[in-house]
Amino acid sequence: MQVGLKIWRFNSRTGERELQEYEIAAPEEATLLDCLDIVKDQHDGTLAYRKSCRMMICGSCGMRMDGAAVLACKMRMYDIAQSGHVPVISAMGNLPIVKDLVVDMDPFWQKFNSVNPYLQPGYEEPPDGKEHVISQQRMNVVHKEALCINCGCCVSECNAMEADPMFTGPQALAKAMRFVGDPRDGQKLARLEKLNGEHGIWECTRCYFCNERCPKGVDPRDAIAKLGAESMKEGIDRDMGAKHAKWFVTSARTTGWLRETELVPKTQGIVSAIKQTRFALDLARKGKVPPPFPPHVAKDVREARRLHDLVRDQGRNGFAGIVQGEHALARLAHGHSGTETLEEIYDRPGAYHRPFIADEEADV
Amino acid sequence: MEATHDVLVVGAGCAGMRAAIEAHDAGADVGVISKLHPTRSHSGAAEGGINAALGNAAEDSPEIHAFDTVKGSDYLGDQDAIEIFTREAPGDIYQLEHWGAFFSRREDGKLAQRPFGAAGSPRTVFAADITGHVLIQVLYEQLVKRDITVYEEYFAWKLVENDGRCQGVICWDLLNGGLKTVGGKTVVLATGGQGRIYRTTTNAYACTGDGAAMALRLGLPLKDMEFMQFHPTTLYPTGILLTEGCRGEGAYLINSEGERFMKRYAPNAMELASRDVVSRSEQTEIDAGRGINGSVMLDMRHLGAERIIERLPGSRELSMTFAGVDPIYDPVPVRPGAHYHMGGVETGNDGETELTGLYAAGEVACVSVHGANRLGGNSLMETITFGRRAGRAAAEWALSNTTVDVPRSAEADAERELKALLDVSSGERAWQIRNDLGTSMLENFGVFRRDEQMTTQVEIIAGLRERYKRGVVVEDKGEVFNSDLTQAIELGNMLDLAACMLQAGVARKESRGAHARPYDYPDRDDENFMKHSISRWVDGGPELSWKDVRYTKYDPMERKY
Repeated sequence: MQVGLKIWRFNSRTGERELQEYEIAAPEEATLLDCLDIVKDQHDGTLAYRKSCRMMICGSCGMRMDGAAVLACKMRMYDIAQSGHVPVISAMGNLPIVKDLVVDMDPFWQKFNSVNPYLQPGYEEPPDGKEHVISQQRMNVVHKEALCINCGCCVSECNAMEADPMFTGPQALAKAMRFVGDPRDGQKLARLEKLNGEHGIWECTRCYFCNERCPKGVDPRDAIAKLGAESMKEGIDRDMGAKHAKWFVTSARTTGWLRETELVPKTQGIVSAIKQTRFALDLARKGKVPPPFPPHVAKDVREARRLHDLVRDQGRNGFAGIVQGEHALARLAHGHSGTETLEEIYDRPGAYHRPFIADEEADV
Repeated sequence: MEATHDVLVVGAGCAGMRAAIEAHDAGADVGVISKLHPTRSHSGAAEGGINAALGNAAEDSPEIHAFDTVKGSDYLGDQDAIEIFTREAPGDIYQLEHWGAFFSRREDGKLAQRPFGAAGSPRTVFAADITGHVLIQVLYEQLVKRDITVYEEYFAWKLVENDGRCQGVICWDLLNGGLKTVGGKTVVLATGGQGRIYRTTTNAYACTGDGAAMALRLGLPLKDMEFMQFHPTTLYPTGILLTEGCRGEGAYLINSEGERFMKRYAPNAMELASRDVVSRSEQTEIDAGRGINGSVMLDMRHLGAERIIERLPGSRELSMTFAGVDPIYDPVPVRPGAHYHMGGVETGNDGETELTGLYAAGEVACVSVHGANRLGGNSLMETITFGRRAGRAAAEWALSNTTVDVPRSAEADAERELKALLDVSSGERAWQIRNDLGTSMLENFGVFRRDEQMTTQVEIIAGLRERYKRGVVVEDKGEVFNSDLTQAIELGNMLDLAACMLQAGVARKESRGAHARPYDYPDRDDENFMKHSISRWVDGGPELSWKDVRYTKYDPMERKY
């Protein structure tokens, strides 16, 4: 097949950028990486990009195609070539470009290192010298985070990092969750304290681009949510982000709606709220804010309260609650009929593991 | 010189990182050189698992593991090394678990173990089907924890021998350009294999045998170079690996007639016979016209969606991405592909080589644990156990107050050679020679080997080496990330190693393990060839000799599965 590519070249010596177009012949099964190889071998030996495994596990070939991060080895080109579209290939975002499609990964690894990315064992080694005995269900809590191949696609797309380059970022935070959720780790609280600090979890803007662009299904944003939930469960809720999240719950429970007027004082405190009074009045004048009194109570508020109580009574707080939801969704995605009871689903031969339930943590 | 260290490790896959950690813990100052960031190393692509006789799933012992390994090696493995290996493996696994490795678990919370080919007990510890990835991550985490210096994207080019010792490595700095010399009182080679010599291989682009080629040029012996393992289940058409764990979990191999053909070749073990046996069976089926597009089919449908999703998610993802087939619903086309090189730099049981101060571990080395055919799950274990042993030995030697000196002349020679490489302005590009090498090796030195094909291949390689010597054009003359240059150097490494492989292959007039000559020497010949082939580089070419296998108590017997 004929494949057209437009590649953003970057000359590190002169600092010049140039969009170059290539037209190549490639086999039908070719990936973007295969196409770059053909360009480099047969058209222009100076083209620079990283590659190694070509099977989506080494994480070398992260780059952008039409403005969104991809692993070049995962991107099959057949449909794109058939459609006649000529994609634009460029280096990943949020990292300095070294040459063509090669970025400097140093800032990425510095952030990786900043979360103490190694197990800090919280247990004595088992006396027989053998393995820790832990259920698969309990380990499954960090299964998604353990899939991360450090390719940088999430960091490339991170909007929060674009606004604040110091933000710890989706990859490092997912790595942090890998250890916060590991039952063998003994530094959970210290880790959470640090992650609640400056440039930590609450700087995430929840745009979900990282989830969207991760080629391995790590879902870094969900990892950040788990860290937030676990922090609040452990009583680490001093950050505005935590207060903000908690107010949503209170607000939903009491009136069934989000009471935005009270959101600012509850999140940012009274002083900050007073400073913003004028802004608030302007908003009110334009009809953007409902009057705070009397509180507007939703018609079905009882249902909202029941839902809240149900979740509270089941103890679905902390990361466990989110993980449990994920597993339920995964089960749905892989199709049971919808008419079986949960017991029937878990009891049938070869069934998926029963998802982690919060109080099982005590057995670990 | 850029810097010097007590122990300098070249390569940052499982063996290299394990060696670095051990040397650090032994008190040495350690540096690691790698042409990739450590987590990009190809150990991370290992899927199925790592063998140790823990006995969690069924009764097992290091002795049974040793027996299986000796038999699997077709009696070419060195038995003392194998006994050390199987005895120390369980402790190494427990240590990885304590460091935080994310292994799959049994119902009772202990480490799960799955059946693998030619193993007498379910012995393979695993993490779904991303075991290598999990190991690479945990080892890198431990590297970070110890703050060990890593020279990332340094391409190791030449070992420095001075005063009868190996004292450092001359590298090309990929990211910034320029030759950099890093000194070491001892140097540990852990550069992996050279599967890229073949066109269809499970190996990464990085697997070009750099370490073995560097050692070869220093005059060191390479051992058992004719033994390239062909993995039975590599995806058509890309050669990407599907783990043996698929068959460990119960997948079938079927031919175009829908027959489970392994019943005719290994009636007891069926799909879980050793890799050489399964690959030969597949190739026989394909050659007899019972294949589809030169492939057979790996059928997982009967395992069911849940088992596939839980135990083999990576294999499913690879099948869907690269073959367009979801194994839950359809069989996957697979064929034998070059996977693992049993041979390598000859070492003793502590990784020591013939040259003082130089050690080797992992796929680049040949201890030899694997002999003529490696068992699935034994290579990851080898990287850990022998990586650790090499790291310890290198540290102990280095800590005995040795100085480091790299003569200026060594650096000057390298600079001249580099200039010559970059100065070639007309002629071929490296990829043409690389493609010819890969295609011809697959055709003439694959699963089955014919005398006349091997003779032809010897000439082809001589011709390719001649073309390479005339000079290949490196179009990129720049300093920054000049992968055009490193790819040209890699090609030179592969050509020399291929020459060694062929010379040893022609000379081994028997069928043993991965070296199958059904047309002229269909049987194993213990009387004449229960010996390692030894290749040395003499006057610009390989020179062959033989060396006895180290034997303890396992008598050769017929191999049936």
